[in-house]
Amino acid sequence: MAYIINRVLSVLLTLFLISVITFAVTNILPGDVAMMIMGTQSNPEALAGLRESLGLNDPLIVQYGRWIGGLLTGDWGHSLVFREPIAPLIAQKVVASGVIVVMSMTIALLFAIPLGVWAAIHRDRWQDSTASTSALVGVSLPDFFWGIMLILLFARALGWFPSSGFVHPADDLLGAIRHAFLPSLALGLGLMAHLTRMTRSTMIGIMQQEFIRVARAKGLAEREVVWSYGLRNAIGPVLTVAGLQVGYLFGSIIVVESLFNYTGMGWLTYQALLNRDIPLIQSSVFVIAAVVMLTNLLVDLLYVVIDPRIRLS
Amino acid sequence: MTPIINIEKLRVTFGKGDEEVTAVKDVSFSINPGETVCIVGESGSGKSVTSLSLMRLVEFGGGTIVDGRMTLAGENGAIDLAQADADTMRDIRGDEMGMIFQEPMTSLNPVFTIERQLTDGLRVHRGLTGQAATKRALQLLKEVRIPEPERRLKQYPHELSGGMRQRVVIAIAMACHPRLLIADEPTTALDVTIQAEILALINQLKRETGMAVMFITHDMAVVAQIADRVVVMYRGDVVEEGPVEEIFANPKAEYTKALLAAVPRLGEMRGKAAPEPLRLVGDTAPPKPITPRETPELLLEVRNLTTYFPVKGGPLRRHVANVHAVEDVSFTLNKGETLSLVGESGCGKSSCGRSILRLVEPTSGSAILDRKDVLAASHRDLRILRRDMQMIFQDPFASLNPYMRLSAQVAEPLRNFDLARGSELQDRVAALFDRVELPRAYMRRFPHELSGGQRQRIAIARALSVSPKLIIADEAVSALDVSVQAQVLNLMMELQADLGLSFLFISHDMAVVERVSHNVAVMYLGRIVEIGPRAAVFENPQHSYTKSLMLAVPIANPRDRKQIGDLNFKPIPSPMHPLSYTPEPSRYDTVGPGHLVLREG
Repeated sequence: MAYIINRVLSVLLTLFLISVITFAVTNILPGDVAMMIMGTQSNPEALAGLRESLGLNDPLIVQYGRWIGGLLTGDWGHSLVFREPIAPLIAQKVVASGVIVVMSMTIALLFAIPLGVWAAIHRDRWQDSTASTSALVGVSLPDFFWGIMLILLFARALGWFPSSGFVHPADDLLGAIRHAFLPSLALGLGLMAHLTRMTRSTMIGIMQQEFIRVARAKGLAEREVVWSYGLRNAIGPVLTVAGLQVGYLFGSIIVVESLFNYTGMGWLTYQALLNRDIPLIQSSVFVIAAVVMLTNLLVDLLYVVIDPRIRLS
Repeated sequence: MTPIINIEKLRVTFGKGDEEVTAVKDVSFSINPGETVCIVGESGSGKSVTSLSLMRLVEFGGGTIVDGRMTLAGENGAIDLAQADADTMRDIRGDEMGMIFQEPMTSLNPVFTIERQLTDGLRVHRGLTGQAATKRALQLLKEVRIPEPERRLKQYPHELSGGMRQRVVIAIAMACHPRLLIADEPTTALDVTIQAEILALINQLKRETGMAVMFITHDMAVVAQIADRVVVMYRGDVVEEGPVEEIFANPKAEYTKALLAAVPRLGEMRGKAAPEPLRLVGDTAPPKPITPRETPELLLEVRNLTTYFPVKGGPLRRHVANVHAVEDVSFTLNKGETLSLVGESGCGKSSCGRSILRLVEPTSGSAILDRKDVLAASHRDLRILRRDMQMIFQDPFASLNPYMRLSAQVAEPLRNFDLARGSELQDRVAALFDRVELPRAYMRRFPHELSGGQRQRIAIARALSVSPKLIIADEAVSALDVSVQAQVLNLMMELQADLGLSFLFISHDMAVVERVSHNVAVMYLGRIVEIGPRAAVFENPQHSYTKSLMLAVPIANPRDRKQIGDLNFKPIPSPMHPLSYTPEPSRYDTVGPGHLVLREG
């Protein structure tokens, strides 16, 4: 219990720090909301008037308080580019990106874990070098390369999947999955490479432990020794790395979503940055940070289920 | 009688081609039903590889059985395990043969309950599941005499002590009533009282079930206590085999003779006034005792030394409790003498040594070395004081820098204190290599080119370089093979005689302590429970803990077997206490000259 409280408190503290940093950074950057609304050629008096009415002349601490208060009460302000309320806008895009993040992570884990285990139990033999080499290729090539290759193969040549666009899963679940598939695969390949290496090295360590020998000495089948005794111990570290990769994923979706013209959080943040839509930048950066934090919290809580040693300490 | 297992000309190799290493060259011996055969040898002798080959587990570690037969007698005829296929071996492992290993802390899977791990074997070999398996698991825990067996079933390994975990591992091996139990150094990682319990338990299970035991160990004292027959291995070969009494009384092979000469035996210092080096094979002159100075001169006086380690807890990582590692410890050490701190793991002996050097900061007390209080010294003064007190650590593999040449490591303290430069420095380093009996050619080498014993000599040379008055040796010979241990111990005693060094000798090994000490302090739960001249403490122990410790120590003499049945020593209570806890001061009764015993109660 102390462990859970500890983790939740530390997430809350981190979120607070993130909110301060996002707010501060967007305020230090040159240009402000009034300028963005009126344009650079605008009348200085009108500009000053708008600043006054938007509260931009208030002390920063007051502005921060107003912003965070709004975040907490659901009033996230208006986007300057899209000219609509930010909260529903982000909510929709989070769902879109959520589909990609979940799918790419699932694809990555589904392939990485067996491949990593396979490489580990055939350590230093051809199976291992095959797995390690392909993982290295996966890590070395950037996501957009995979994206382009996948579009060429599956969309252009074979025509199995659409090459662009987004469908909301509430409207058409299958369509949503079909549209998200190629971007997810492009992201998943890079992720998979990291996770394969992680699974391999963790499993190699675990398989040298004495309890593995004890399991064999009991007469257990090798299948059970590897997949039950071994993997159950290796899965925690692998999931931790997977959780940390969610942060990396949100960095990569900016490129991949643009490539597939998939209107998710990455695309939205990119538009916000491009147009200096300060309220939207603040909110989307904060939401992305919050999602990453919460995913990692989730992994930490999963640990409680996976590892009995944490349950009691 | 048909032996249960008959090994003939076993040969096991690791690696391929140019890198092929033969771990077991030509090993033959057999084990009869109901017999305990000890396989004894030093590291690299091939004893563990032999046992792993029997279970055919050696292949999982990269080994190959290239030659030989291992005939297991069975109801349906004999099987050659060397030729058996994977399915046959799986049926045999855990059913006909059970195995226990060295490290109880890592022998159990941390994420499964004790019950799951106990019932695995029952499921695959007996088809037992559910209630029936649970019932048998409970019965097994009772057989290995674990307190509160019902509760243990639902617990995870980390909730059990080392001794209890080893009992669980034994229960796992016993689950299907094996005819042969293979025990690979099962007590090496355990404290001596727990070792005594486990040895007694294995003996008892053997009597109850009639199984045979193949016991692999490097410890001649354990061999003397439990073996019926002994197989001595050296570098992959069997050098001698015979009944235990015969091996100890009348060893034939040169190697066995040398090995037995190197073993310190508890009680053999009886009647001797001062410590003396072991007489090793090849020594011509009888060893000279290390007599203390006629007028004792005080070197170190430790008064009321107390060291607590803070325990952090709660969401804000506040200081919530203290581990009372060293609790009100006082002693004195004279020039040219050795005081041993002896006790089991967690008793505070190492913390005590480190506190005196201030490698950990003590909470209170004083340690006066040659009229200067180390504990009150400023950081600048402490640096100078450390010239007079050096330390030798347990693990010679970890205490040397792998990237530095040995000459540079020995020279480092001299450079630090700017005691010598240029050719003078080189001369002094060369003289130190001579002093610890290492060839000067080794000066250019790196640590990985040396054996464990040679590395420990380097550690000693490094400590000696600044001509210290006090050397704190923290389990300095514990990681060494017994023949190497004897050489290093003799070297330390020789240096003491020549240079008038004082040693604070920290060890868990009672037989070694008896050999090297002028005075002995027994520690328990952070306190010295008994301190006095070696003869008084060893021959007339007064504190109940000292007595139980002495009872538990195995003696390297098969004629002096301890007839102890069911042992279950009291577990050591936790040294962790809340912040509000105020401990009683240590109060002692004097029972003889210099012999003090902690008041109990």
